[in-house]
Amino acid sequence: MFSFICKGIIRDRKRSLLPVAVVTIGVMVVVFLDGLMGGMMDNMVRMTANFQTGHLKVMTRAYAADEAQKPNDLALLGSGEVMEQLHRDYPAVDWTPRIFFGGLLDIPDEHGETKAQGPVTGQAVDLLSKGSQEPARLGLEKAITAGHIITQPGEILVSIDFAESFGVKPGDRVTFFGSTMNGAMSFANYHVAGIVRFGNSMLDRGGIILDIADARLLLDMEDAAGEIFGFLPGDKYHNEQAESIKTSFNNQQADNPDAYAPVMTQLMDQDMMRQTLGYTDSMSFFMLLLLMVALSIVLWNAGVLGGIRRYNEFGVRLAMGEVKRQLYRSLLTESLVIGIIGSAVGTTLGLLICLLLSRHGLDYSTVMKNIAMMIDPVIHARITPRMYYIGAIPGILSMLVGTALAGRTIYKRNTALLFKELD
Amino acid sequence: MGLVLGGLLLPLTAQDGNQILRKIDRNMSADSRIIESTMIVHGKRNDRTITSKSHTMGTGKAFTEYLSPARERGTKMLKLEKEMWVYSPATDRTIMISGHMLRQSVMGSDLSYEDMMDDRRYEDIYDARVTGSEQVDGRTCHLLSLTAKVDDAAYPSQKMWVDSERLIPLRAELYAKSGQMLKQITAGDVKQVEGRWFPMHMTYKDVLKEGKGTEWIINTISFNQSIPANVFSKASLRK
Amino acid sequence: MLIIRTAFKNIIGAGRATRLNIAVLSFVLVIMTAYNGMLDGWIAESRRDTIDWDAGWSQLWHPNYDKYDIFTLPDAHGKIPIQIDNALQAGMATPVLVIQASVYPQGRMLNIQLKGIDPEQQILKIPSLSLHSAGGETPVVIGKRMAATTNLKKGDRVMLRWRDRNGVFDAREVQVAAIFETTVGSADAGQMWIALDDLYAMTDMQGEATYIVMQRESPVSADTGGWHFKDNDFLQTDNRILEQSSRAESVIIFTILLTLALLAVYDTQTLSIFRRQKEIGTYVALGMTPRGVTTLFTIEGTTYSLFAAFFGAIWGAPLLYWFTKTGLPMPEAYGDIGMAVGDAMYPVYKLTTVATTLLVVIFFSALVSYLPARKIAQQNMVLALKGKIN
Repeated sequence: MFSFICKGIIRDRKRSLLPVAVVTIGVMVVVFLDGLMGGMMDNMVRMTANFQTGHLKVMTRAYAADEAQKPNDLALLGSGEVMEQLHRDYPAVDWTPRIFFGGLLDIPDEHGETKAQGPVTGQAVDLLSKGSQEPARLGLEKAITAGHIITQPGEILVSIDFAESFGVKPGDRVTFFGSTMNGAMSFANYHVAGIVRFGNSMLDRGGIILDIADARLLLDMEDAAGEIFGFLPGDKYHNEQAESIKTSFNNQQADNPDAYAPVMTQLMDQDMMRQTLGYTDSMSFFMLLLLMVALSIVLWNAGVLGGIRRYNEFGVRLAMGEVKRQLYRSLLTESLVIGIIGSAVGTTLGLLICLLLSRHGLDYSTVMKNIAMMIDPVIHARITPRMYYIGAIPGILSMLVGTALAGRTIYKRNTALLFKELD
Repeated sequence: MGLVLGGLLLPLTAQDGNQILRKIDRNMSADSRIIESTMIVHGKRNDRTITSKSHTMGTGKAFTEYLSPARERGTKMLKLEKEMWVYSPATDRTIMISGHMLRQSVMGSDLSYEDMMDDRRYEDIYDARVTGSEQVDGRTCHLLSLTAKVDDAAYPSQKMWVDSERLIPLRAELYAKSGQMLKQITAGDVKQVEGRWFPMHMTYKDVLKEGKGTEWIINTISFNQSIPANVFSKASLRK
Repeated sequence: MLIIRTAFKNIIGAGRATRLNIAVLSFVLVIMTAYNGMLDGWIAESRRDTIDWDAGWSQLWHPNYDKYDIFTLPDAHGKIPIQIDNALQAGMATPVLVIQASVYPQGRMLNIQLKGIDPEQQILKIPSLSLHSAGGETPVVIGKRMAATTNLKKGDRVMLRWRDRNGVFDAREVQVAAIFETTVGSADAGQMWIALDDLYAMTDMQGEATYIVMQRESPVSADTGGWHFKDNDFLQTDNRILEQSSRAESVIIFTILLTLALLAVYDTQTLSIFRRQKEIGTYVALGMTPRGVTTLFTIEGTTYSLFAAFFGAIWGAPLLYWFTKTGLPMPEAYGDIGMAVGDAMYPVYKLTTVATTLLVVIFFSALVSYLPARKIAQQNMVLALKGKIN
């Protein structure tokens, strides 16, 4: 019986292709939306993590208390040792130092004297260590509007509006003038490797990026770091994992009375991320629910239509002596099979699209006026276990309900009438 | 007796105060000065020691070269009237310090570039009045009240304890227009150099801020030596 | 006209399939209107907040002023151009004088921007009325972020140090008269607001300003008296970038929803053509051209979207209206991460957005109705009459 139905579905394409296609597309769309909204949320987490918080962050207590000021005079000294300990205790986490600093960028004329200068805020990131994930995290490649990313010591990236207002071009030599973590004067020349767009007017006006090693020389922060960012394996954030690492690290330091002892925070503790994410999560679940309702209506419709389409077939089958109940049951089984096939194919396709998106992303920056920038103009998707079954619920159930409703006609109409539709 | 007392209690006039100021200026200022000094900046976590050598001519020209630590060694600063340049050997660049930067702290200290650069004579800026006499570090001092007579004095009034014998300030309090005290300077280790008394150790403290302030110690000082004019040129920064 | 009337009759007669299609399509329309409304509402609010708290509609900058370069501040003040006297008199413009200053909360030194503003001004939402001095205190108002940074509460006093126009130091305690909450970080972080007249007295900069904030009604629309005019577009740059990226997301969600709805329409169309072969043959036999039949079916399919719009309006309008009243509550977080978003997000339904959504739905309904109907024109009508369309 079952194999008979399967044969029917496979052989009679005309009869089954459309319902299967409808279920497939519908399920695919639900799975895709789920992945997409997860991806948007991940995007938000990723941007925050990559630029502001890391998944985990280590600072001195004094620095943490005044973090908004980015007080480098309170930076973590002996960061190498702290990093080593972090690597030892939490080897799966990618620990990387960051320094935020400020100063003046001075543009020389042909005689090497000040032609122009303006205030800048800098971010120093590990760009040159072998295997560093940092250039990718900051999306530097994408944000470059001219020149190239930092490939060797002594190079600097300058923000677009600064570059435009002071006539800075890739290849130019500029001088940074600021103060070290101890407050001493500090100077360094850099080659402008490239011009970047951050996508934020403040940073676009006066943002610079340096390699961490250069910044340490510049700020007299050898073996020091303002902040150490930690990224969980695969750059994927997990709240519980981050929380447990944070707790274990801070417990180790609990008895340390030093104001400059390291302290760890995690992403959720910072910038109100916990509230934001909780909220976004419930919003996207609501969206998904709405979509599933819509899909259910569509599939119900498809089930009804699939039934109506075959009234004359029913007539023939009844005429040939099939019992109504048997006919109804075979119809339901058939729709179940269609639902399963459609859900399977749809889920697979949906997952494939999400996979593709999670790998490559959908770049919508081409439709935006500012082509390159650091605010990620790419839509990614996330793949979660939920996605393996979420589409199947409406995919199978709604189809079944629709067919069951349409099939009731078998009972309502008499055999003769159904047969008559055969003409 | 009463006559003597009366004579002692006569209000000391502004003229007396200004005379004292003039004498202080005679001690402290010169047509030119060459100073090798050590600055100790007491930071939140550590102290830093910076040594430098500076040449000053009159009130408008100053040239400073940093000698240590290694990081600052060779950094030079030139001030000509209201303009200032800094040269760093590491970058071989001469950078103009715009006026607004002059108000920033020097090397993380409690002194701004401006504090360091303003070498105008007291008597050019302030009117002084003697308001009493007090002991400071075991020495008898005139207590002077200084009021700015120009409108661009960073500190419109000061209270100054001046060694009544050696005629150098041992302590000063710098006030804002409103009368709020902003900075406190104490001087010590007074030595005789080239026939004049000079405090070889000074402490600057921003009283609004927590911290131990900044110490300034003079290692060597000489007055009125002829300094070649080309020292005070941008060309000498690169030398 | 006959075709349209026939089409209407046909789909009304079609019953359940019609109802389901209309349900799905109207669902998509209402959801998309709500979603876009929220987006438009969010952007509108973010723009409005920027205008209300920080930027005004447009500004006039002192030639030396550069918002992003605090070192320009000591030089960036001057007499307010007399050309804008009328605008000032009419309350359409208000001057702001900005100087650098330091505050010393708990013995720490913090460099800030001290902004003088007319307490009576009504252009910015800064609670400037609290700046009227009382009892010998000098009142200042600060935002929530600044209050957090400085650890100051309402009524607290803090030492403020600044320099007057000649560079003379001055310092006094000021009292926090009010703490305001704004979503616009650039009106809050690192800033203190003080009465303009107090600042004039403190700095000896009578009649001067750093920039002038203007209302939309202000007649000034170009550089005036050597001061630089900054239009709304310039002042809203960040919101514009935000808007563009949100739009891209909205388009994708719309595509997904629409795909789903169109699937239903397509399905219905295919079936209805299959089931009504004889009817098609009859139409042709009665003299309707095959193209006419295609048109009929296309119109039938398209009509779903029209009905959907109609029914969507009936059940959606009260819902969408209710939504504008309740809004969508937002966590505080957004404001803290620098986005201009309030406690709740209220949707704004823009005619253009709604119309675009509707047109797109109608267009694609027509398209997916046309695709299966297209075949009709290519059929052998004799076979069609027999009910044998392939």
